[in-house]
Amino acid sequence: MRCLPTCAGAEAPAAGLREGAVASLALVPSVLAYAAVFGGLAVQAGLRPLEIAAMSVLVMAGASQFVAVPMIAAGAAPAAVILTTYVVNMRHYLMAATLAPAFRRFPRGWLPVVAHVINDESFAIAVTRSQPPDPWLYLGSAATILTAFLGGVGLGTALGGLVDDPERYGLDFAFPAVFLSLVAAQLRRRRDWLVAGGAAVLALAIAVVLPGNWHIVIAGLVASGLGAWLGRPDAEAR
Amino acid sequence: MRLSVGLTILGMAIATYLTRAPLFLLLAGRPLPPRLALWLRLIPLAVLPALAIPMVLAPGGRLVASPGEPVLWGAVTVFVLGALRVNLLVSVAGAVGLVALLRALG
Repeated sequence: MRCLPTCAGAEAPAAGLREGAVASLALVPSVLAYAAVFGGLAVQAGLRPLEIAAMSVLVMAGASQFVAVPMIAAGAAPAAVILTTYVVNMRHYLMAATLAPAFRRFPRGWLPVVAHVINDESFAIAVTRSQPPDPWLYLGSAATILTAFLGGVGLGTALGGLVDDPERYGLDFAFPAVFLSLVAAQLRRRRDWLVAGGAAVLALAIAVVLPGNWHIVIAGLVASGLGAWLGRPDAEAR
Repeated sequence: MRLSVGLTILGMAIATYLTRAPLFLLLAGRPLPPRLALWLRLIPLAVLPALAIPMVLAPGGRLVASPGEPVLWGAVTVFVLGALRVNLLVSVAGAVGLVALLRALG
């Protein structure tokens, strides 16, 4: 028996796991709904249930999956889909670096699996509860959030197949609607508005002259890069 | 599972794991430089509109000509609802419903 469970971080693993799960319950309805919307739209876009399930388990990062589905449906080059996925998920570097010290005393063999469950919601819960974050609380949250995510995708996949004529119900507009809602909810300060607006204008200009999907990665990296270069780095946690 | 889609998903999975695992496994004790951290935080704010706005305003690389286009009003609606912190499902359902309604009327 290696150093488990008591020396792995928190004093009481069971208490931490439970606290993380309870703290995450408030987010379960929105994760469930978000994931169900993803499953439903992915079916409507022509992905098969097994493909949706494989993507949700192996990638397990909602925003990037939303981004990839209309690209796959439109027949985009796999390299473009993969590169776009990478860029959308680059924010994980920030979360991984912040969480890593909390897992210093965990068995090495666990870490490749724990890395895979890094997600926005559990990160936010763990870092707002304590600094450094409690690893058990984080795992309790991740188990709850990802169960809701996978359950929601399954539910949405089952229900999405029931709709026949998606354009009649405006469902083709649902993908850009999700993206706009996600970004609008994150705009807090003037810098955020400038980055988002600049990216929109730049992407539009590129999309009109350059075929393919390059405008997403180019405008995304350039606008955020300019924002970080010219803006003032601040001390907020995320 | 179609082969090309399966390979795309596998590539997405590897690319995503490469954003999660390296710094986590290195057990980075030091925080990232503040400007790099800021950049990583701003990327989704830039990628999402870079994706959505051309889908709405220039589908297929061609600018939308008419201000009466239903998706324009859907986009304005969902953005305002999102900025007001209305729940994602409600915002999207409202905007999608508006687009369906305008299409039915038009």
